Parts: sequence; structure tokens; C-alpha cells
Amino acid sequence: MKLTRHDRIGLVSFTLPGLILFLLFFIIPVGYVLVVSLFKWDGMTEAVFVGFDNYASIWKTSVFRRSLTNNLVWALVATCVQVPLAVLMALILNERPRGWKLFRTVYYFPQVISGVALAMLWSAVYNSEYGLLNGILKLLGRADLAKNWLGTLQTAFPAVLIYWVFYIGYYMVIVMSDLSGISKDYYEAADIDGAGKIRQAFAISLPLARNGIMTCVTLAAVMSLRQFEQVYLLTNGGPANRTSTMVLYLYKQIQNMRYGLANAASVMLIIVGIIVIVGIRQLFKLWHAAYE
Amino acid sequence: MTTIKQTFRQASGHKRFTPANLFKWLLIVFFAFYTLFPLLWLIVSSFKTNTELFGNPFALPEVWQFVNYQNAFRVSGMLMMMGNSIFIALSATLLNVVLASMLAYCLSRFTFKGNGAIFTMFSAGILVPLNALMVPYFITITSIGLYNTRAGLILLYAATGIPMSTVIIRGLMEGISREIEEAAYIDGCGFYGRFTRIVFPLSRNGIMTAATFQFITCWNEFVFANLLTSSQNIRTIQLGIRYFTNQFSTDFVSMYAAIVISIVPSILLYMIFQNQIITGLSSGAVKG
Repeated sequence: MKLTRHDRIGLVSFTLPGLILFLLFFIIPVGYVLVVSLFKWDGMTEAVFVGFDNYASIWKTSVFRRSLTNNLVWALVATCVQVPLAVLMALILNERPRGWKLFRTVYYFPQVISGVALAMLWSAVYNSEYGLLNGILKLLGRADLAKNWLGTLQTAFPAVLIYWVFYIGYYMVIVMSDLSGISKDYYEAADIDGAGKIRQAFAISLPLARNGIMTCVTLAAVMSLRQFEQVYLLTNGGPANRTSTMVLYLYKQIQNMRYGLANAASVMLIIVGIIVIVGIRQLFKLWHAAYE
Repeated sequence: MTTIKQTFRQASGHKRFTPANLFKWLLIVFFAFYTLFPLLWLIVSSFKTNTELFGNPFALPEVWQFVNYQNAFRVSGMLMMMGNSIFIALSATLLNVVLASMLAYCLSRFTFKGNGAIFTMFSAGILVPLNALMVPYFITITSIGLYNTRAGLILLYAATGIPMSTVIIRGLMEGISREIEEAAYIDGCGFYGRFTRIVFPLSRNGIMTAATFQFITCWNEFVFANLLTSSQNIRTIQLGIRYFTNQFSTDFVSMYAAIVISIVPSILLYMIFQNQIITGLSSGAVKG
């Protein structure tokens, strides 16, 4: 259909509201953090142009470096442990074992429960006085292992990190949708050729679900870099900044009115995000290439 | 021949006991247990007395303490916070899906300069870490006078959800046949008529999917609600349960009751709209 004048007016009136909001809440804010990260500014006095000084100062603080490392470890665990577990469970539930729909529903629960509620739940699990985890250890006769999980230097970060790893529902559903689209003919042919289940998973299921898997790996990495609520509510970055993340660092700079530093941290977060996303795409391109 | 083989396969799938089967079921049960056990523990604990909670974390309550739930409602202004959350999430969802479906209609039905560019920008927008934009959001919302208002959160939620919703709805609109529209076009039905009378009603499944995602995201949102509001009477439920910690200082069981109350609506909504969520994740829409 060729566009008439009436269509053109329609197109403008229908796209403009959404595009203005996109401009206001995506493009301008990203441009804003880029620019303001080059200024020293406390929100009240005149901003002073300082070039890359903010980047140099955040890089010098050990809290920021610790936060960045924590985020990267988090992303690594999410992409290399959480997503593979989700893929494994997708393969298993795709075989339609008894009650698979019920299990799919249950695995997805944590995704619809708010981060705040989950954080409060797990802070109760880890509580040193009446917590579930210490209770289990006592039941097993290992009361000596019971401790204040979130307050101990060695266990705080693993404790904050680990409870998420086994919440696999979101990624599992994405991969399952790819798996269910694969024609049964491939598996029947493989059966006739005598290929076992594991061989079939590696030769048929995984390659044909690679788009879904790439989506999951990307989302898992991106979400790990955004982490804020859990650490803010469970430990507020403590003990001794062991559990800090980039967003928590930036939030604390806002509270201290150091907007230049906060925005430099924002830009770092965006840049690290872009590097990670591009890196993942490149890796998956190699995998794609192997099948073309 | 095939039927015999299939029957055999079906039978062996369920009944044969093999190490592989055992391993499979161990995994299935482990993940279910891991998800449900802490939740059930929280629910059971929310019916205990504080003394019982400290005594034995696994024992069932002697007497089920429904009074904890009364406390949760009384102490914290629970009903008002729920009202705020419902109002904010519903308004933001409505605004969001209306704007997103208008955009999706243009993107899926017309070829114009910039069509591809908008789609690429939106796909990239889904991956932008919004938490990194706290400072500019704070400044924008404050400067238009919406700090500490419900309208501020509604605007922010509706706007930040636009890329995701547009991509979901566009994906599902693409799948709708154009024949009816072309007939309507020949009958003189214009740009707006084709949207309101044909495309919008036909794509209501896609729109419901986007709306479900958007509503759950708004209901659960914490970071910006925390950043952009300060007074108690516009607090959302998520902020509420965060501040319960202070209000209930040592009354843990009532705090647990409050957390359980906040989770129930999300779970109910999920149970009702489960199919929409699965379609949404399957439609390739989130595959930015």
C-alpha cells in the first residue's frame, strides 16, 4: 500500500507520543550521563569540567574495583552455571515427563515474586538466630558450621550470589519454546541411527535451540550487571564492601551528592554491558558458523 | 511398525527404572523443592509466635496465629499501599500498552523511512541497564514537578516499558493476516479505523501478553519507587515490605505475614495469565 497524506498524518500522530517518551527516558538520559560524567558536580554549586578525572577517581577506589569484580563474577556464574542448568532442565521437561506443566509453573514462581520479597525471604533463611539454613545444619548435627552467613567476610558474597543460581524458570521457558519447535523427524532419524539421548541433545537439540540459548546468556549477563536490590536489601554492600555492586556504588554516590562520580559509574556500567553483549554475540557467531 | 515402536517408547518412558531416569527425577524434584521449600517455610513461620520461631524453625505452630495477619494489616497501612500499587501498576500498564500498540501498528503495517531504525533502537533499549540512569531520571521527574507523586512513577514505568511492549506486540501483529485490512482499505476505511476496528481487536492476545509482563514488572518494581517517592501515603507495597523491617523491629512473624500478603497477588496473577507469559517468552519478543 502506498502512503497517502492521510496515512502520513496518522503515522506521525501514532509514533510521536511513544518516540518522545523514548527520547526522554532512553536517549537523553544516556547522553546526559555521558556528558555529566566529565564534570565535578554536587547538585548545588556550579559544575566544573574535569575531563576524565571522575573515571580516574572511581577507578582508584577499591570499593569500585571490588564492585566491578563482583558484577563480573556474578555474570560469569549466571552465564556458565545458571543458564546451563536451565538448558538441562529444558531438555528434561521437553521430554514431557509426568507433571511437566506443573514443574514448569513452579520453576517460574521466583520470576513473578518481587526482588524485595525474595531478598526478605532469603535474609530470613540466612539469619543467624532463627534462620532456615542454620536450622538445617543443626538438624544434620553440624551446628559447628552455623554462622551469620551475611555478616561473615568469607560467606557474605557467595550467600548473596548463590540463592539466585537455582532459580532457572525464566531461561528454561525460553529454551523450551525453541526445543518444542524442533521437528520430531530429526529425533526419529537419530533413533534409527542408534544415537542415544545425550548424543541427540548435543547433535540436534542444542544446535537448533542456539538462538534461545544466546538470548538467555545475553539476558543473564545483562541482569547480573544490573544487580542492586538483592545486595541493597540483604547486606547494603557489607561487610567491608565485600558484596558491593556497580549499581550499589553508584546509588551511594548519589546519596552523597557526588553526581559526577555516580555518572562515571553509570557510563562504566553501560560500557561493560556493551562489551559483554558484543562479546557474547561474537562467541555465538562462531557457533552459528559451525552449522552453516 | 511405527505404532509398536511408539507404544514401546511410551511405556519405557514412564515405567523403566534406570540410573538416567533416577537422575532426571532427582533434578526435577530438587529444583521444585528449592523453589517451594523456603516459600512454604515462610508461610508456616508467618503463623507461629515469635517464641516458636526462635525455638525450632521447622516445627509446625502449636496454634495457627492468624493474629499475625491482622497485625500486618493494622501496623503498616497495608491496604493503602496495596491500593497505591494497584493504581500505579494498572495506570502505567494501560498507558504503556496503548502507546506501544500504536507504535507496533505503524511498525508492522507500514513501510516508511526510519521504521527499521526505530525497531533497532527499541531492541537495544530493552538491554539498557535502567539502574544506571538513576540520576537523570531523578532530575527529569523532579524538574517536571512529579517527584513524590503517583503520576511520576506511572510516567516512568510506562515510558521505560515501551521498547519491550512494542517489540512484543509488533511480533504478534506481524503474524496477523493483512487480507481483512486490505478489504477494509478498499471499502474506504482509513488509518485510524483500521487500527481501532481491525488490528487492535485482532491482536488482543499479544497486547494481553505485553500487559501482563508490564503489570508484573510495575507491581514488583522497587528501585525507582524508592528513589522517586518519600512520603508514606504514596508508598507502594514493595517499599512497604522493605520498611516493615523497621516497623516490626522484633515482631518477625508479623513481618513474614506482610511478605506473604505481598506475594499472593503476583502468584495469583501469574496463575491466571500463565499462558500469556509463556506465549510472550516463546514469541521471540524478548530475544532482543
